[in-house]
Amino acid sequence: MSIAWTQVALAGVWGGLLALERQAFLQAMFSRPLVAATGIGLVMNDVASGLFVGMLLELFFLGGASLGASLAEHETLAATSAAAAAAAMASTTDGQATPSMWSVAILLFLPMGRLGRTIERALGGYSARLAEQASASAEAGRLRRAVRQNLWGMWPHFAIYGALTAAAALVGYALGPQLAALPPHFTKALAWACPAMGSVAAAVAAKSTKARRAGLYAGFAATAVTAVAALLAFWGSR
Amino acid sequence: MSHSPPRLRKRTLAQVFFRSLFLQASWNPRGMQNLGLAYALFPALRELYPDAAAQTAAVQRHLTAFNTHPYAAAAILGGVLFHEQRIARGEESPERVATFKGSLMGPLAALGDGFFWLSLRPAVGAFCAAMVPFLGVWSAPLLLVLYNAVHLTFRARLFAQGLSLGDRLVEALARANLPTHGARLRTVAAASSGALTAWLAIAFGAGQGGEWAAVLAGGCLALGGLSYWLVARGVSRYLVLYAGTALAAVVGGLL
Repeated sequence: MSIAWTQVALAGVWGGLLALERQAFLQAMFSRPLVAATGIGLVMNDVASGLFVGMLLELFFLGGASLGASLAEHETLAATSAAAAAAAMASTTDGQATPSMWSVAILLFLPMGRLGRTIERALGGYSARLAEQASASAEAGRLRRAVRQNLWGMWPHFAIYGALTAAAALVGYALGPQLAALPPHFTKALAWACPAMGSVAAAVAAKSTKARRAGLYAGFAATAVTAVAALLAFWGSR
Repeated sequence: MSHSPPRLRKRTLAQVFFRSLFLQASWNPRGMQNLGLAYALFPALRELYPDAAAQTAAVQRHLTAFNTHPYAAAAILGGVLFHEQRIARGEESPERVATFKGSLMGPLAALGDGFFWLSLRPAVGAFCAAMVPFLGVWSAPLLLVLYNAVHLTFRARLFAQGLSLGDRLVEALARANLPTHGARLRTVAAASSGALTAWLAIAFGAGQGGEWAAVLAGGCLALGGLSYWLVARGVSRYLVLYAGTALAAVVGGLL
């Protein structure tokens, strides 16, 4: 098993930076699954894996949002870890990504969204201590020190989520050869699971939009696409 | 009482705006965004209150619990600076700024959550996901461009409005009519998702080819419809995804 440690490190850094962007700085949607996973694909030389994983998880997590004090699932960690694992698996087979690899990566790392939320809750305690230190520093007149406690809240997000993304890449390197050794009908089963997941995720996304008459608009759009595809197939066959 | 009106330098305003991007760096369940707020305001408070005791009091009044939408917080930051300048001139009491924050953070949170998190983000995300088959990797930068054209404009404008209008920024926000735009964006999100469901099913069928192409595409589409129905009835989307995947895998392994 040959591990590209540079790619693993880059994936870890990218995963850590995106965790910061999601919560601590800017929130300009670099941390959304479509962008985050595509970025992982770029740094690990497998854009196709990053793009498919990102598209599917963007849909699956479409309706999630942290409202008030409630925390959403960590869609960024799910996306970066699944994409890193998929890209690592592909690199063990001379860079040829397959739908079966994407299926395995998504199924294994989708629950990372919930793990990420649990970690985020735990990090809230650390940030609360920073706020207490800030208050104490302010009372003592050390104002610059007080307000800079805000920045200390960032490093655990970078370290933990970056490490988890890198670990997912390592899992991918370990799984790649195992997947290649599966019998063909298992591989085909996993490959068929991929488009099914896409359709399911897109349908879940339509419901999660909370649009009035979401089913109607989604159904109308699906019908339109199907009609156009049928027309094109008909013209193509003549 | 000071008679010379303290006015913040443009450089200080730019520093406050840049620091506002770190509003949630130390979000915590007790004070929430309090530390981020104090961090963002500090350059302005340092300039407005050269006296150490007054500066300390100003920082401390912004270390109280605070939570709102991170983009809409720009409006409150601007408004806080509006009031702090008046407090520094002796035209208002310090309690005024606390009232301002307290009265606005809830409504602005609802406004920001409803428009950005629940409307714009899903619309842009679903639309750009639907563009992946046509634009490939360029779907990702498209998401960033479409979203941030609105996000950054909104954030900068809110800051400027809060700074110049103070409490009257509520009227300016009402004129933006965000709930109506949000409803339209959610429709875009639903339609994009539906279109992509169909496209993925058709692409799968076409990819397998042969006499089974239409059946496979139809089966995949039906799975999408069934998933929508199940989620609408409260079934966990994780369960729907894993069960749908298992079903497709079994069919694929058998055929």
